[in-house]
Amino acid sequence: MPPALLTTSLVNTVQIGSLYALMALGITLTFSVMKLPNFAHAEYVTVGAFAALIVSMAGEVNPLVIMLAAFVVGALAALASHVAVFKPLEGREVSFYTLILSSFAVGLILRYILFMIADYFNLFDTRIRIPLQIMLREGYLILTNIFFWVVPSSILLVIALTLLLNRTPLGREMRALANNPGLARVIGIPVERVKNYSWLLVGGLAGVAGALWGLQTAVSPLMGWVAIISVFAAAILGGLSSFAGTILGAYVVAFSENTVMLFLNYNFGLDLAYKPAIPFVIIIAVLLIRPQGFTELIKRAGDLQR
Amino acid sequence: MITVDRLTAGYGKLEILQDLSLSFAAEQFSAVLGPNGSGKSTLMKAIMGVNRIFAGSIHLEEQQLVGMPTEAISRLGLAYVPQRENIFSELTVLDNLQLGSRSLPREERPAALDELLELFPILGRRRAQRAGLLSGGEHQMLAIAIGWLSRPTLMLLDEPSAGLAPAIAIEVFRVLQELSQAGITLIVVEQNARRVLQYCDYAYVLREGQLAFQGTAAECLADEETIKGYLGVH
Repeated sequence: MPPALLTTSLVNTVQIGSLYALMALGITLTFSVMKLPNFAHAEYVTVGAFAALIVSMAGEVNPLVIMLAAFVVGALAALASHVAVFKPLEGREVSFYTLILSSFAVGLILRYILFMIADYFNLFDTRIRIPLQIMLREGYLILTNIFFWVVPSSILLVIALTLLLNRTPLGREMRALANNPGLARVIGIPVERVKNYSWLLVGGLAGVAGALWGLQTAVSPLMGWVAIISVFAAAILGGLSSFAGTILGAYVVAFSENTVMLFLNYNFGLDLAYKPAIPFVIIIAVLLIRPQGFTELIKRAGDLQR
Repeated sequence: MITVDRLTAGYGKLEILQDLSLSFAAEQFSAVLGPNGSGKSTLMKAIMGVNRIFAGSIHLEEQQLVGMPTEAISRLGLAYVPQRENIFSELTVLDNLQLGSRSLPREERPAALDELLELFPILGRRRAQRAGLLSGGEHQMLAIAIGWLSRPTLMLLDEPSAGLAPAIAIEVFRVLQELSQAGITLIVVEQNARRVLQYCDYAYVLREGQLAFQGTAAECLADEETIKGYLGVH
């Protein structure tokens, strides 16, 4: 594989992997704290991207303000879906499968509301208007200002989330709720309040991921849905429970979709149209061979350190 | 302190406790005994509001507990140590202890932790470890510690010695005796009647969801019919 191609694909791996990590951590958090594999997560991403787009069309060019708007709108979308759908269903003690299906339904509703908005305001495949600049050119390596927004923002948010979970009382209560919800209630943790905060956090991060995704490609009502299988593959690689595993999973998926795909294309002539199949292959392989993902490995390493 | 009146409770559609009435006195160490399925654990869960109550009432002094959410019941000064899954096994020992003290005012937490580590020095040495890696005895001490850290007036413990080696079980009961002497009301569900009767003040024997016997520990031990018929102690 020629070095130019390799370099570009590695840049894409880092950029897209960081965004996958941001989205997949939300999936892992929802699954462990709320016990819900939430497919509507895709739409919190899209909602955030549209919020970013609308704010930028209103003339805002500061990416921080754009990201903040996306965070707020994504957070509200997630909290609204909890209050309107998931919480009442949990109250009726419906089965796990009903909850999964309801998450698809919530996703569909949000997606088609966005289609209506996009149609009315003619927003299909619009870019968030931040002028593209080349910040670094070093041989084959070309990095744009988008790269310098996407990668550090994602990494900083992942670090912030990890600190929140491990160093704050709210984070401790979230981990307690994830580990043993019955005992959490018994010792007086305000379970509903902790869940509400978790939803805001999860939706907000998805929203920011949407804004950043919109910076690097275009905003469309389907963008979150298109990414969600890759994001689930990352979360499944993390065993849907480990944060470190999920982050690692995100970069593995992005690497497979970019570098490995190009390698297969260049050396074996595999058509690039197979790229969307990669996350499915990863999901099936993980579920067949190692359903716990990276979780046990990471846990064992952690226990050895102590 | 706790008055249970004509309580029918269970799980789903299953009624395990049938029209049960009894009351637990304050500052006493009470044991709830009885064969498997007699409703001992169901009674504890009913007090904490974690299972289904079909009829009857449970009062803490004047406060009606039936219908209150579990979190609110725990805030009234009740600490419940379930039989299983009674620690946060994925979290560190220190995380577990901090969760236990979370309901205290912020300025009281360090003192409570220090006092606790005096009571359970082993937990201090293991503070950075994942709680799931503790031994059986340490695990049970941690479970009791989580409950104790909220400075409860009443602690409910569901089979605190289940699955422990005899020497360690005795250590657990010694700790409970200390808590009782410190003025905490204790209600302990126990399979091993002979052992708990050496420590408790008062005993209740349940059978098929109803009260079969109540009396002081000494009376219970002296009542051959109860001992042989319901408790299987020889």
